[in-house]
Amino acid sequence: MTNEFYKTNRKERAVENIISVEHLCKKYTTYKRESGFKASVKSFFHREKVYVDAVKDVTFQVKRGDIIGILGPNGAGKSTTIKMLTGTLYPTEGVINVMGFSPYKDRISYVRNMGAVFGQKSQLIFDIPPLDSFRMNKAIYGIPDKEYEETLHTLIEILELEDKVMRPTRVLSLGERMKCEFIMAMLHNPPIVYLDEPTIGLDVIAKQNIREFIKQMNERGTTFILTTHDLEDVQQLAKDVIIINKGEKVFDGSIADLRRNLGNKKVVELTVDSYSEKGIVYGNKNIEIRGTTVISELSHQKTTLEVDTDVISISEFMNELSSQYAFTDISIKELSMETIITKIYKETGNKE
Amino acid sequence: MKKYLMIYKESMRVSIASAATYRANFILHSIITLLGNIVFPLVTLLIYGSGASFEGWSMYEVLLIQSIFTMSTGLSNMFFGGMVWNTMEHVREGTFETVLIKPVDCMFYLLATNFGIHSFGVVAGGMVVFIISLVHVGNATIVMWLQFLLLFLMGLFVMLGMELLMAATSFKWVANSRIPEMYGSVRQFGNYPQTIFNKSIIYLTSFILPVGMIGFFPASALLGRLEWWMLVSIFPCILFLMLGIWVYRYMVRLYEGVGG
Repeated sequence: MTNEFYKTNRKERAVENIISVEHLCKKYTTYKRESGFKASVKSFFHREKVYVDAVKDVTFQVKRGDIIGILGPNGAGKSTTIKMLTGTLYPTEGVINVMGFSPYKDRISYVRNMGAVFGQKSQLIFDIPPLDSFRMNKAIYGIPDKEYEETLHTLIEILELEDKVMRPTRVLSLGERMKCEFIMAMLHNPPIVYLDEPTIGLDVIAKQNIREFIKQMNERGTTFILTTHDLEDVQQLAKDVIIINKGEKVFDGSIADLRRNLGNKKVVELTVDSYSEKGIVYGNKNIEIRGTTVISELSHQKTTLEVDTDVISISEFMNELSSQYAFTDISIKELSMETIITKIYKETGNKE
Repeated sequence: MKKYLMIYKESMRVSIASAATYRANFILHSIITLLGNIVFPLVTLLIYGSGASFEGWSMYEVLLIQSIFTMSTGLSNMFFGGMVWNTMEHVREGTFETVLIKPVDCMFYLLATNFGIHSFGVVAGGMVVFIISLVHVGNATIVMWLQFLLLFLMGLFVMLGMELLMAATSFKWVANSRIPEMYGSVRQFGNYPQTIFNKSIIYLTSFILPVGMIGFFPASALLGRLEWWMLVSIFPCILFLMLGIWVYRYMVRLYEGVGG
């Protein structure tokens, strides 16, 4: 990469904020409509306006060189936030500052300095090879020949696409196409790249390749903002996580913070010997060990427990468990990301 | 400006490359549109062959009008014909964001990427009839040629303005497939000598929706039959283009959620 930006070491550029969002709000106006023929006829003549708060007072900062994961259930306001950050949507209220630009006010000069990959919206031209689509972007961004050749070469090499970029886009696999989408978004060496569900629909290997690529580019200095439903993406890539639910920010911090947020809990999976004299765990919802709850029973022999290690230490728990019950197998795990996120979604979703 | 020329150049390359990818489709499309468009001289030949005529106009004069109309609409299809469909697709599929994240004026970008080589056959066909007719109707002076070029350009302005206006409606209505058909029908008025119509249609096609500018007015210039009020039509043509650009831009801003 010729761009000076990539040459500087990330540590030297340390903790400068690249994105600063303050009190961001977006209200939509839609029309209320009931179902049924009568309502349809009525709505043809008169429609009642309804205001929807897609994003409510969201504030956050992103540091240069970070990878931020934005999580949230469907319809939480993630896409609306990303649209406002990419300058394609005007906020109703609030201030966005990205590298000194106001995305919606200085759209053209701002988007020159950012890239975006939409997992569900292709930027490639379908009928022709990706290489031709790349040339189109070269013209759009006015990338000098030498820089274009170098960047393209580097990206193709990292993504291992040597022989693929010459074939028509329509014959490429989804994974290959997604890699090409990344090239489209990064040919002009943007310091910041937005990824909206970049691994959607990809197989395990393709997902892993994409994640490796993101990591590599991040090490070269690119800041990534990532929305996804794949928690593996977040766990492997993101340094910090922002969770949005019902238009509000409900969590902002590191993944370690996120785990701590719900207390120190472990998940214990037990396989019990149902013929044991000491009794059996299954069916016994009120298991008599402190800080322990049964969260599921897969079968007669398999039970999952949740142990709050703030209440009882693992060794104490093991002592009590083996004195009261017999079991043939046991595994102790961290609370899964999924469980954590589900809990946060549920807790924050029911607030109203 | 240089950037936009580069983008246009790439778009033309892409269009030709796409056409080359589906060769059979391209050839078939070209032949069919050409056939569809050369029916007009046949009908005219038929009318004059059976002894009838458009009153006050010789066969080659009528053919000249119609060939200019064909060239003009062919060029319009080539350069801005895809605008309506493309805008509608982007809005309906929710992919307009991929246009907005590019550092270009999105109206121009869509226009450029809509370049379609398919109508080349029509333009070429129109050109052939144009030359044949011109040989028969006699020589035009340089002034007449200049007038012709000016009015021909104005005809393109009307069509661009109209395409933009129609495309702009898709932001609000999302689906509007019937409007282009209506426009296509109204446009046909430019294909005939205006004198055969009644006053109100002449008025409508000269000053309200100046489709006379697409074939009839430029042809009149070349035939030396230009009248002063035809030049007045230049104003509604320019207005149409300005209105088209303004409305399209306004709708894009509305789509971005300004005040929405």
